[in-house]
Amino acid sequence: MSVERTLAIAQRIITQILRDHRTMALILIVPTMVMTLVGLSFYEQKAVLNFAAPAILGAFVMFFVFILTGVSFLRERMQGTLERLLATPVSRGDVLVGYLAGFLLFAAVQSLLVVLFLLLVLQISYQGALWHILLFVMVMAMASVNMGIFFSTFANNEFQVMQFIPMVMGPQLFLAGVLLPVEQMPEYLQIISRFLPLTYAIRGLRKIMLEGQGLGGVATELSILAGFAVLMLALAAMAVRRS
Amino acid sequence: MKASRTVATEKKEGDATPVVEVVAVEFNYGKPRVLDGLSLAVAEGMSFGLLGPNGAGKTTLIRMLVGLLRPLKGTVRVLGEVPSPRVTGRIGYMPQFPALYGELTVAHNVDFFARMYGMGDGRRQRVEEALRLVGLWERRGDAVLHLSGGMRQRLSLACALVHRPPLLILDEPTVGLDPELRATFWDYFHQLTAQGNTIVISSHTMDDAAHCDELAFLRAGRVIAQGSPTQLRQATGREAATLEEAFLHFVRRG
Repeated sequence: MSVERTLAIAQRIITQILRDHRTMALILIVPTMVMTLVGLSFYEQKAVLNFAAPAILGAFVMFFVFILTGVSFLRERMQGTLERLLATPVSRGDVLVGYLAGFLLFAAVQSLLVVLFLLLVLQISYQGALWHILLFVMVMAMASVNMGIFFSTFANNEFQVMQFIPMVMGPQLFLAGVLLPVEQMPEYLQIISRFLPLTYAIRGLRKIMLEGQGLGGVATELSILAGFAVLMLALAAMAVRRS
Repeated sequence: MKASRTVATEKKEGDATPVVEVVAVEFNYGKPRVLDGLSLAVAEGMSFGLLGPNGAGKTTLIRMLVGLLRPLKGTVRVLGEVPSPRVTGRIGYMPQFPALYGELTVAHNVDFFARMYGMGDGRRQRVEEALRLVGLWERRGDAVLHLSGGMRQRLSLACALVHRPPLLILDEPTVGLDPELRATFWDYFHQLTAQGNTIVISSHTMDDAAHCDELAFLRAGRVIAQGSPTQLRQATGREAATLEEAFLHFVRRG
């Protein structure tokens, strides 16, 4: 691993996205717009929104970040820039950690937007410390960045990567406890839900935001999400190997 | 594997270990064989042309030389080693289609590759040298998105040679260049080989071929002839034969 190379890759990705003004605007506008709609639809039902907030936060952060990284990484592969990079002395680890760091900055911006919108604009009432929520969301975002990179290695064009979005996000929205508590689902679906990162994201956020638990109380969920992030990165490294 | 016909047998002094050595390599992406028992050797300090029609296997071979593909059979050695990140630091690779970052400036692109090649603080000067060489120093602050095709080609070359590699591997570097720029590129390639560097260049134009010290004619994944342009022309038995005629001569002999 080379820190210099990893940093150069992260910096390069950040500069590229910052210079692409339209993409930058969309990164900021889309979460704000979606959260505004959420706010308007729950306008009369504050108590419901308070209860639903952790699930909304978990699902949207994962959703936005997965799309952002999945599509960006695909672009690197299609334009030949990833292959060009792999013809230099750079290691796959440098490349992937560099991508992770670069994308994570924008994932953090989007996540922060969703969190702050929920707390400051929609003024949901929550327990727990704000920085616990933010730290948990960042680990979640990291898992989602790596998931985006990993799945993107299986797509050969934009059309295919778009199909991965419902494929990956669909089951999570239905089985991870966003719409229906996991405990109320048939047992075989509950088993599937144990393999979905969003299940742990929502469970952890509920513990912090609704029950006021600290990081110690969500250690299991945090570890699973961090482990999932590492697993996805390792799998992605294998998937982009030099043929 | 059928033996390829080698016209040149004489060797320069001191080139006991070839810079590039490909032995009986086979490769396919799917059903048809892309490389079919291909063998060749490139001595140090020469410009070596891989010449053949589209689909002859030139790009596949080049991707193998820079470690992006591994042969299914046979061996590939570059600078004495199997291509890996350890050896790619001493190779300058220019892909067939410029792989650049459109939103970044011209200078940022070259600097980024300099960092990938592990160049430290001294790289600022090398970035300037590389950009001056390809005539893009004045455009250093422009985003690549705003460059013409030929300029991108030149920038891609600057990215390949910023770290002063002893071996340059260039996949069709002169495609889309105007005659003046093509001549400039070749002047520079001759300078590099005069300094002892080695250049492997793929092309399907006979104009490029005439500039090379040695050529390998590729067809259907095999080398059908190897030698200097003069030797290959003479092999047709006619003094006035062009390289194109020489190529057809070897194709017909099978």
